[in-house]
Amino acid sequence: MQAKKLNNGAIEGVLNEFLKDEQHLVLGFEKDKNGVSHRIFKKSLDQYSFLNPLFSTNGALFLRRLFAKGMQIVLLLRPCEIRAYVELVKLTQIEREDIIAVSVDCLGTVSTKEKIDEIPTEAGQLDAYMKETDKMRWACKVCREPRGVVGDAGIRIDKNGAFWATSYTEKGEGFLSMIEGNLEEAPKEMLISEKEKLPKFQTNMDDFEKDFSKCIMCMNCRDMCPVCYCIDCVFNGDEYLPKGDALLNKVFRTGSTNMPQGKELFHLIRMYHVSQTCVGCGACEEACPQGIPLTKYFKGTSERLQGMFAYMSGRNFDEAIPYLTFLEDELKDVED
Amino acid sequence: MKTGIFICHCGHNIKHTIDVKKLSQYFKKYPNVTVSEDYPFVCSEPGQDMIRESIEKQGLDRVLIASCTPSLHGDLFKDLLKKSDLNPFLLRRVSIREHCSWVGDDLEINTEKARRLILAGLYSAAHYVPLEEKVVEVTKSALIVGGGVSGLSAAAFLSKMGMQVYLVEKEAELGGHVRALKNIWPARKDGKEIIDEMVAELAGRKNVEIFTSTTISAFEGFFGNYEVTLATPEGEKKMTAGGVIVAIGFAPFDPIVKPELNYGKDERIITTLEFEERADTLQLPENPRIAILHCVGSRDEQIGKPYCSRVCCINALRVGEAVKNKCKDSYVESFYMDVRAHPRGGEEYFEDTQEKGVLFTRANVAEITPTPAGLVIRGEDTLFGEFFEREFDLVVLSIGMSPPIDNKLMATLFKITLDKDKFFLEAHIKLRPFDTAVKGIFIAGSCSGPKDVEESINHGRASAVKLFGFLNLGYAFVDPFISSVDPKRCSGCRMCETACVAKAIKFDEAKRVVHVEEAACMGCGLCNSTCPSSAISLKGSIDMMIDDEISALTEAI
Amino acid sequence: MEEKTNKNPEIIGFACSFCTFKASEMAGSLRMKYPDGVKLVQVPCSSRVDPAFVIKAILEGADGAFVAGCHPGDCHFIKGNYYTRRKIAALKEMFDAFSMKDKLKLFWVSAAEARRFVEKVTGMYDEIKEKKNAGKKA
Repeated sequence: MQAKKLNNGAIEGVLNEFLKDEQHLVLGFEKDKNGVSHRIFKKSLDQYSFLNPLFSTNGALFLRRLFAKGMQIVLLLRPCEIRAYVELVKLTQIEREDIIAVSVDCLGTVSTKEKIDEIPTEAGQLDAYMKETDKMRWACKVCREPRGVVGDAGIRIDKNGAFWATSYTEKGEGFLSMIEGNLEEAPKEMLISEKEKLPKFQTNMDDFEKDFSKCIMCMNCRDMCPVCYCIDCVFNGDEYLPKGDALLNKVFRTGSTNMPQGKELFHLIRMYHVSQTCVGCGACEEACPQGIPLTKYFKGTSERLQGMFAYMSGRNFDEAIPYLTFLEDELKDVED
Repeated sequence: MKTGIFICHCGHNIKHTIDVKKLSQYFKKYPNVTVSEDYPFVCSEPGQDMIRESIEKQGLDRVLIASCTPSLHGDLFKDLLKKSDLNPFLLRRVSIREHCSWVGDDLEINTEKARRLILAGLYSAAHYVPLEEKVVEVTKSALIVGGGVSGLSAAAFLSKMGMQVYLVEKEAELGGHVRALKNIWPARKDGKEIIDEMVAELAGRKNVEIFTSTTISAFEGFFGNYEVTLATPEGEKKMTAGGVIVAIGFAPFDPIVKPELNYGKDERIITTLEFEERADTLQLPENPRIAILHCVGSRDEQIGKPYCSRVCCINALRVGEAVKNKCKDSYVESFYMDVRAHPRGGEEYFEDTQEKGVLFTRANVAEITPTPAGLVIRGEDTLFGEFFEREFDLVVLSIGMSPPIDNKLMATLFKITLDKDKFFLEAHIKLRPFDTAVKGIFIAGSCSGPKDVEESINHGRASAVKLFGFLNLGYAFVDPFISSVDPKRCSGCRMCETACVAKAIKFDEAKRVVHVEEAACMGCGLCNSTCPSSAISLKGSIDMMIDDEISALTEAI
Repeated sequence: MEEKTNKNPEIIGFACSFCTFKASEMAGSLRMKYPDGVKLVQVPCSSRVDPAFVIKAILEGADGAFVAGCHPGDCHFIKGNYYTRRKIAALKEMFDAFSMKDKLKLFWVSAAEARRFVEKVTGMYDEIKEKKNAGKKA
């Protein structure tokens, strides 16, 4: 892999230079006394952090309906966030034109629900912290692609904790050219290696119903999902979840119902809707006030469904979402 | 909401296995149901009057008719609503005959199933809204594909009625297979004579354009204005046709498929069609021994042709008669399964032939072996249960009709379904035998199953009459079942646009929402099921309707 | 899901107007018999079937659901059923993940195939009935 080695402070220098233009912005992470969080930088990078070991939401959520014509934005985000960004680009919820998406190697994250006083943000220390404690989120443990290999460019971390910048698209090359130094061959072995494939997700309706029985239908999972992009969800209307008089009508027609009704329906339909675009970030689970293991189900199903079409959400910009295309000669054994 | 429910007895057809009285009583108590009646024949004049009266007196705003399947009597009931000043799309049809009373035998079970089906219709109809039928202008012209007897008779009728006719024939000459036939029974005319007569009728007409040696290279558009592109010897030609009659005929069965008959390997084994051509030039001994085999390529499960070709028995009789007329002392033996001389006078013709001296042996012929001395036929006499072996100087195979060679090509081009034997399938075998599932596209002649000359001519003319009815109006109603977008709900993800087969969805860059180009929309509803928020929905089949149908059908399970 | 009391399976079928629904009409006209538990919802094209409908049907208590349309390549709307095939294949995979694979089937039945329609739905009905009753005894 041809890459540029980033010396200490190099990227901050480059981005500060970039921010001198009034029309330029950077979305990345900021470290302050309260921890690490997303921030859009306008003037200069203050307290910038490459890594964000705390997960509250998926950053792509902030990018939905971003059609910033003429503004240049650099994203320096986790791979799951960039992958969600790529899916949103495919769904034209983001105009890609003025955005450079850079994915940064991710060493795993800890839920912001956990009680933590201090968490390191330096690569080596963080790696050790994640290995020593068992605080890493389950979604991160089973992450499909924690490496910065998606988007326009990537920032990789080698075994010594040094950062390397490399590009994947033309835009990424533009980004790389802003960095001083020459391209050189990066080490083969990086801190994070390719993940092994997980066994096929398998569950049953009983377990599913048990896990989701706690659901209060607040729909936070939907609202925090980066790829649940609809302006007006079907579950806002009366089609699937009748309310008030419509609900009573339904009860008169179909008999008693437990409340809140439609839990399984909501989750299964949403699961199908995001099946090809889910990046498995676990933002839904973070948002759930009831502690329902959503990631297990959503990530598990979506990986199975994506696997059928050899698709992986967010892997690249050019792969079509499987439901929107077809081959005439395929899936011969689907018919019963 | 005031819904009127009308449950048809269909004589005994529905009443026999569904308790219609119980159902009509049951639905009387339903909220939003104003009228609930059962009636012996809802489609009859008094039945229609009853519905009309109810609409007018009770002020119904939904009409639900539980009767036969929706594809029957559709226009009749629609017109009925129109006459009563009610939007025809507030009509709901529920099939309790084809999908219920004819399917099961138990009265109680069927009544419950019918109740659920009607309930589903009732819930679904609650979401119906008045829709406006779009009116399109219809070009008064017809494309007729195939210049055989069916095509010619259709062309003759349509042109006589003043329609522009484009007749397309793949071969260089008009007339199809009939041209080669001699002394066609019962008219006793040569095929050429019949064809020449038909062609002469067209020749003087200005509104007939005949394209021979021509194929269709493209076919697009909708009823009333189909865009046709022809590949003629003079180059490409484009035209607009209001409707189409497909009359591409049949392909004679090729006996090579049955190797035991040794057809093609010996000149003395010929088909009935070859006999027509060569009858006068055949080299035969003085008193020839001639065998005629019936059902070659018909009623034969092994080669995938289980159907009767209808014409070959008469053809076999014609061969026997011709030989006997020419040479009284010849030995002519027909090997048959059973003689099906369908048409009027056919049975008498069969007797005449027997009287002339043609022998008929009910037999299964196993093989024909050519030897220098003669053709040896081995088989089993199925009346006496004996095996036989006899020698002949000539064997005539009475071949059946196979589907036309271009059947798949044409089926794709015109969206016609093929039946199990690969002939074209009619919309309804009894009630709509000339129609296809596509409006304005008709089938005629033997491409929709074996037919003799007379039947083919009639079929062609009948299709032409049907098409004329459509064309002559000069306008047509187009179903308003197309998609529409709720821009407030549209997220502008363009998924529907990507998936749309008709490319009828366009994206508005400024508003970041999509809209539907109504003329191009085919109404399949793919966009509706692709949109996660159902911001785009198919009129007449919106999510709420289907969801409520599901609820009704699963009620109290 | 509500407790089921009925011992006979209820199956909801989504049938396209141009092929499968026509086949079912023909099956009726020919007086072919199939179980009363099979009930059809008519849709203009199999591609109109939103997987959400199937999920809803199952969660509302149907023992099975099937989507049926024209054979691939024969779609009245030219290519609709290729999309159906992908969507329903994915949905079947999802049902498989939830250990209820047998509850969803995809059939291709052309307008001419009344017998095939009856065979397919009866087969599905019998299969589900057998499983259902086996579960009761255990």
